[in-house]
Amino acid sequence: MREPLSKKLVLWAFVLVAIVTLSAPTIVVLGASFTAGNIITFPPDGLSLKWYAAISQASDLRNAFLRTLWVAAVCTVVAIPAGTLAGIALAKYAVRFERTIQTYLLLPFTIPLIGSGIGLMLIFGQAGILGQLWPVGVAVCVINLPFMIWAVTASAAGLDPDLELAAANCGAPPLQVFFFVTLPAVMPGVITGSLLMFILALNEFLVSLLLTDARIVTLPVQIYNSIRSIITPDLAAISVVFIACSGLAIVLLDRLVGLEIFLKSK
Amino acid sequence: MTSRTAYPLTWRIMDVLEGVAAAIWPRSMARATPYLMLAPAILLVGLLVLGLLQMADSSLRTLDTNTFLLSENYSLANYRRAVTEPLFAVVAWRSLLAAVIVTAVTLIFAFPYAYLMVRTRSSALRKILLIALFLPFFIGQVVRAYGWLIILGNQGMVNEALGLVGIPPMRLIYNYPAVLFGLVQYMLPFAVLMLAPALTAIPEELEAAAGSLGANWVRSFRHVVLPLCRPGFIGAGVVVMTLSLTDFAVPAILGGGSQDFIANAIYDQFFRTSDQGLGATLALMLVALGSIVVGLVFSLFGAGTLAVSRKRK
Repeated sequence: MREPLSKKLVLWAFVLVAIVTLSAPTIVVLGASFTAGNIITFPPDGLSLKWYAAISQASDLRNAFLRTLWVAAVCTVVAIPAGTLAGIALAKYAVRFERTIQTYLLLPFTIPLIGSGIGLMLIFGQAGILGQLWPVGVAVCVINLPFMIWAVTASAAGLDPDLELAAANCGAPPLQVFFFVTLPAVMPGVITGSLLMFILALNEFLVSLLLTDARIVTLPVQIYNSIRSIITPDLAAISVVFIACSGLAIVLLDRLVGLEIFLKSK
Repeated sequence: MTSRTAYPLTWRIMDVLEGVAAAIWPRSMARATPYLMLAPAILLVGLLVLGLLQMADSSLRTLDTNTFLLSENYSLANYRRAVTEPLFAVVAWRSLLAAVIVTAVTLIFAFPYAYLMVRTRSSALRKILLIALFLPFFIGQVVRAYGWLIILGNQGMVNEALGLVGIPPMRLIYNYPAVLFGLVQYMLPFAVLMLAPALTAIPEELEAAAGSLGANWVRSFRHVVLPLCRPGFIGAGVVVMTLSLTDFAVPAILGGGSQDFIANAIYDQFFRTSDQGLGATLALMLVALGSIVVGLVFSLFGAGTLAVSRKRK
């Protein structure tokens, strides 16, 4: 069936505006990072890599980036077991109070980020662990945990209870069934979920802003703090790190599970 | 190595693990296994509940301006201040209005995007649309807002370009429309990703059938696709509305302090005026406001794609 021309035109008009709006900041940041001038101008003053050289010398930026990686790693390491187990439990078993538990596990999404962040700041402060880095990782894990659980339950269609029973019937004890039958079946979900958790933790801003102090700022907070003053291209160069990480995550996601997984209906 | 040893290492490790597992979690407790599996996630989310309780405690204590400590005794003074001070009403109204406008605009642009992405025959186009969606989604709010500053700032690209043709620079950021624009850009990926599965669920044959019965594409959109996509609109709408209502970074960066939303006001109470009690009060009221918005939408339109359901075999 041929699409009418008017439909095509209207759809494409909206989609083109959307694509330009979505991509403009990324492209501009990329372009600005290669400028030769001291301030960002249009048209650019010429091409150079000098801002990359500048940021590679800046130890505060490098340390902030390493701290961000550490936070993302803690977040992912905590999220994988907690989210995978919860996701499998919800998909496989008819647990009591299922609705209540599901609603409860969605709390990180229903409580506004500023509320979650302030609450965690207060209890971490009372526990005397504010100012350390690992609680930031745990906090970022909590606020994004539903993504991990969702990814695992969404892939639970590949989970066949008969296979688990067959394995048990052949003499496999429970842990073996779990590691060699159940877990491989939901692996696409575990991969999707952990990639999402890692990249979202890398970018997490508000909760990091609330839970870090000047000594342990993460990179997004560092960028935010520097934006206030004059716009210089070194910030653009450091932002390219995030663009590169984002690109890498997309390639990995596409290779490992396929981006089209997000288009599937429930 | 494994070919020569009769009993490979992994087997022995697994046997030890099985033994340990059986000792601490015997078969007789198998019925409770699902709850054991849910426990870590429930405990992690429990941190948020603890945080809410702590905020409730702080919200009932007023700040002593002499000692800068919270009072020992409870009172509702903070709540009285939160509802009577005109500043907070202005901020709340600004955030609510933004949430409504941003939701409407985002859905209008997200629907054609999701439709084209789901329906296109070209897998290359689908991939391009997906990448254009995920790239900003994964880059984070701060870097994106920074990109807008480069484009729209007072010495930004647009003003430089206008200067070349003799138009004096205009103030394009640090105003309400700039914040709205930044929010729409931030929310688009969320909305498209919530709409796409709902569109996938609508069989293409339905549109063909409407077409063969004489409906043009506008009518088949209006009477077939849009009504069937309703659960997707509700899901996307609720997510976009609550996220923009409670956003911090976009109003802070593109509003430049003059366009504060509720989240910015809460932050200021904690880190500028150091009034933890009033800050906690405002934060709790924002949690309540968010829940009211969600509840209102759900009771008016149903839970859409956000309804909890489990496929039973």
